[in-house]
Amino acid sequence: MIRIRDLALTYPDANVPAVRGVSLEIAEGAFYTLLGPSGCGKTTTLRCVAGLERPDAGEITIGDETVFSATGGVFVPPHERNIGMVFQSYAIWPHMTVFENIAFPLRYRRPKPSRSEARDRVMAALALVRLDKLAGRPAPNLSGGQQQRLALARALVAEPRVLLLDEPLSNLDAKLREDMRVELRELVRRLRVTTLFVTHEQIEALTMSDVIAVMKDGAIVQEGAPAAIYGQPAESFVADFIGRTNLLSGQVMTPAVSTDGGLGSVATPVGLLHCRLDASRRVGDIVTLAIRPEHIALSLGAADVSDPNVVAGEVANVAYLGNLIECTVAVGSHALRVQLHPSAPVAPGAKVRLALPIEYCLAMRQ
Amino acid sequence: MKGAKSLGLAIARPRVDPARAVMLAIAAAACLCVLVLLAAILWLSFTDGTPGDPNLGYTVGHYVEVFADRFTWRVLGNTVVFLAVTLAVAFAIALPIAWLVERTDFPGKPVVFTLMTVALLIPGFAVALGWLFLLHPRIGLVNQAVMALFGLEHAPFNISTVFGMGMVEGLSLTPITFIMISVALRSMDPALEEAAAMSGAKPRQAVWRITLRLLWPALLAAAIYVAAICFAAFDVPAVLGLTNRIFTFSTYVFRSLTPTEGAPDYGGVATLSVIMLAIAALMSVSYRAVQRQAPRYAVVTGKAYRPRLSPLGRAKGPALAFVTAFFLVSQALPLLMLGWAAGLPFLQAPSARAVAALSLDNFRSIPTDLLLRIIGNTAILMVAVPTLTMVASLAVSWVVLRAKPRGAALVDFLAFLPVTVPPIVFSVAALLLALFVLNAAVPLYGTIWLLVIVYVIARLSYGTRMTNTALIQIHRELEEAAQMSGAASFGVLRAVILPLLAPTILYAWIWIALLSYRELTLPVVLATGSNLPFSMLVWSYVQSSSYGRASAAALIMLALMVPVLLLYWLAARRAGFLTPRVAR
Repeated sequence: MIRIRDLALTYPDANVPAVRGVSLEIAEGAFYTLLGPSGCGKTTTLRCVAGLERPDAGEITIGDETVFSATGGVFVPPHERNIGMVFQSYAIWPHMTVFENIAFPLRYRRPKPSRSEARDRVMAALALVRLDKLAGRPAPNLSGGQQQRLALARALVAEPRVLLLDEPLSNLDAKLREDMRVELRELVRRLRVTTLFVTHEQIEALTMSDVIAVMKDGAIVQEGAPAAIYGQPAESFVADFIGRTNLLSGQVMTPAVSTDGGLGSVATPVGLLHCRLDASRRVGDIVTLAIRPEHIALSLGAADVSDPNVVAGEVANVAYLGNLIECTVAVGSHALRVQLHPSAPVAPGAKVRLALPIEYCLAMRQ
Repeated sequence: MKGAKSLGLAIARPRVDPARAVMLAIAAAACLCVLVLLAAILWLSFTDGTPGDPNLGYTVGHYVEVFADRFTWRVLGNTVVFLAVTLAVAFAIALPIAWLVERTDFPGKPVVFTLMTVALLIPGFAVALGWLFLLHPRIGLVNQAVMALFGLEHAPFNISTVFGMGMVEGLSLTPITFIMISVALRSMDPALEEAAAMSGAKPRQAVWRITLRLLWPALLAAAIYVAAICFAAFDVPAVLGLTNRIFTFSTYVFRSLTPTEGAPDYGGVATLSVIMLAIAALMSVSYRAVQRQAPRYAVVTGKAYRPRLSPLGRAKGPALAFVTAFFLVSQALPLLMLGWAAGLPFLQAPSARAVAALSLDNFRSIPTDLLLRIIGNTAILMVAVPTLTMVASLAVSWVVLRAKPRGAALVDFLAFLPVTVPPIVFSVAALLLALFVLNAAVPLYGTIWLLVIVYVIARLSYGTRMTNTALIQIHRELEEAAQMSGAASFGVLRAVILPLLAPTILYAWIWIALLSYRELTLPVVLATGSNLPFSMLVWSYVQSSSYGRASAAALIMLALMVPVLLLYWLAARRAGFLTPRVAR
C-alpha cells in the first residue's frame, strides 16, 4: 500500500542527513511500525509520507499513485494525498468544538458529502471512539485520552487510504497509555486501514505491530515481525534497544558449521560461551554476544565452572520491581543483569552460579 | 492540439502556492516601502540643490555645515538634558508604583493598570497644553497666582524650558516605564527572593542584594527604551518649546523643514534626519545588546509567577496618596485646565467674573464643515491604518516564520527597522519622497493615502512583533493537521491561523487605531489643508495661539476617544492582556 524507495532527506540547517536511503513496503491493511531512539529519522520518514517534508531523493507511492519522486519531479502536496494523521500533540483545534474538529476533513472531501451525510459520518466517527456524547463540547475541554481519541476520529472520518500515527501515545500517562494501546490497535484492526506508526517505545511496537522496522541514524537496521526482532536481533543496537540485554563483546573461537544460525563459541570477558552464530563468521571475528536477563538461570552456591555456559559470580545489588527481581551479578570485572521471580532468595554478597542457555546466546555484529 | 500540449506542460510544472505568492508579495511591498523611505533620506542628505533638479550634484557639504553649526551642538545639549530629566522623572515615579502594584498588597491594582493605559493614550500635546496654562511665564495661572501673592515681578516657574519639557515628558512617559518595569518584576522568579530569605536575609536585604541586582538589566533596557521614545518625542517639546525657540532634536528637524522665514534647505533637513536616525539606531542597538544580557539573569522567562506580596501595613495610606497624586498631577490637572481654558474667551484665574464668562463659544467657533472633514479623515486613518498594518504584519510573520524563503531574515529585519526610526524622520522622508521623487508618477502628496502609508510603515514593527509572538505560539501541528485534512494553504490560513490569531489581531488593531488617532508627529509634516487629521486641528490652533479653541478641539478629540477606549478594554480582556503590549 505504501512503498518507499531510497528516501533521503537532509534538513537545511543540519549537516548529517535525517534520513538516508530508507526503503520499505507496507502491505495493505498492515500495521507497520518505525521504532528507534529520538533523532533516528523515523518521524522524518513519516512526515515525508505525509508530504509535510519534501525529501531530497527517492520515491514514495501510496496505493498506485506516486506522491513523490525526485527524479520524476513529482510532489503531491499533503492536502491532496488523502491520508489520515494523528499528531504527537494531537493538534486539536482549540477554537472548534469536538464536532467541528471531526467535520473539518469532510469539507475537503470530493464529492463533498451533503450536510446530513456529513453529520452522520461525524457522529459515526465519534461513536467509534466513544465520544458521541461530547460532540458539542469545546475541544480544549477534553482530557488527554479524549483528545487522543478525538484526533484519531478526525484522522479516520474521511476514510483515508492510509493512517499515519506520530507517537500518538507519548503524551498520555502510563496507565492511560496502556489502555489506549489496546484500544487503538483493536480499532485499526477492525477498520483494516493500512497504518504507519512511529514510536520510541519498544513495548508499543512489540504489542501493536505486524511488522517492526528498527531505525538508527536515518536508516533501517532491521525489519521483521515483533517476535523475530526481539528473538533474533541482527545487531547489538537492536538487541539493546528492544528489551534489556546483556551485551558481551568477544572473539569467535569456533565458527558455526551449518548455514542458518548454527552453534559456535565466542571468547568473552566472562569466559568461553557457546552460542548461536552466523555461518559467515570466521575465527577471530569480533562480535557482540547478547543474552536477555530473563533467560539467565541463577542458582545459589559455588559453580562448577567446567560445565559449558556456566559462570560463577557474586550478587552485587538487588532491585525489587514488584512483579520481578532484577539483580546485578558481578562476574569477574563484568556485570550481568538477571531477572528473577520475586520470591527468589537472593541478597547482595551471595555467591551464585549463572547458566546461560546456548539457544538464547546470540552472537551478532556490533 | 498545441493548446492541449502547453496545458499538459503547465500541469507538470511545480505548482505555485497562491497563498504563498500573495503573502510574499505583501511582505515584499511593506519591506520595500521601509527601504525606499530610508534610502531616500540618505540619498537626499548627500545631494546638492533642489531635489528633482536634473543637474543635481552630490556633496558632503550638508554634513560639514551641520556639524560646524554651533546651534546643532546646542540642540544636542538641550536634548541630552531633556532626556536626563525625563528619565529621572519617569523612573522616580514608575519604579515605586510598579513595586507597589506587583509586590505589595496595594489595593485597586486593576484600576492602576487601567489608568496607566489611558494615560499612555492621552495625547502628549493635550497634556502639554494644560501645563502651558499652569506654568507658562506669562499666561500660566500658577505663576500669576504666586506673583500676585508674593508681589513678584518675574514669574517663578517657566515650563517653556528644557527642564519644564523634561518634567512634562517624564510624567507622560511614566505609564510606559511603569509597564516595562512591572512586566520585568512579574517575570522574575520569586523563589530567588525566597531563597535569600531562607538563607537568613532580611526582606530589605533580599530586595537590595537579590531583586534589584536581578532587575538591573531589565531596568537598563527600560531606560534605553524610554530614552529612545523620548529622543523621538515631538509633541511635548513642540507645544512647550517651539514658540520660545527651545529645541530638542526632533523639533529642530521640524523647524528646519518649516522655517519661520525663507525656504527650507531640504538637503540640510535630510542630513539632520540621517543624524537623528543614526543616534536612534545606536540606542536601538544598545537596547538589544542589554536585552540579550537579560535572560542570563532569569528575567523575562515568560512564565507567570505568583510572587509573595508583602503587606504594606501603615504605609498603605501614603502609598495610595502617592499613586493618586501622580494621576491627579500628571493627567487630571492639565486636562482640567483644558476644560477651564476651553470655556473662556481668554485664560484667566478662577473668579466670579471668570465663571460668569464661561461659555461654549470656543466649541461653536470651530467651523462645522472643517470639523466634519477632519473627523472623516481621522476615521479613514483609524480604519485603514490598523487594517493594512495587520495585513502586512500577518504577511511578514507568515513569511518569516512559516514560508521561510531565502531572504526571510532580511524581511524580518526590515519589518523591525521602523521601531528604530523616529517618526519625524519618517515623515520628513515621506514628504521629500512624495514631493520630489514620486509626485510625477503617483500624486500622493496632499492625499490622506500618503498619511495612511506612512502610518502603516511606522507601526509595522509593532504589528509584526504582535503577530510574530502570536504565530510562534500556534503549534505547527495544528496547521499540519488541517493540511492532512485536505486544506490548501489559504484554507489553513482561514480555518486555523486567522481564528487563532483573532484575539491578538483585534487587540493590536484597536491599539494601532488609538495610536493613529493621537498621532501628531507624522501629520505635522505631511498633512496639508485637505488631509488634516484631528490632532492637526488642535496643533494649528496652538500654532496660532488660539488656546481656547485649541483646548475645545482637544476636549472634543478626547471625548471621541472614549468609545474606542472601551472597545480596546474589551479586546484586551478577550486577548487576556492585563498590561498593554508595548515592548518591542
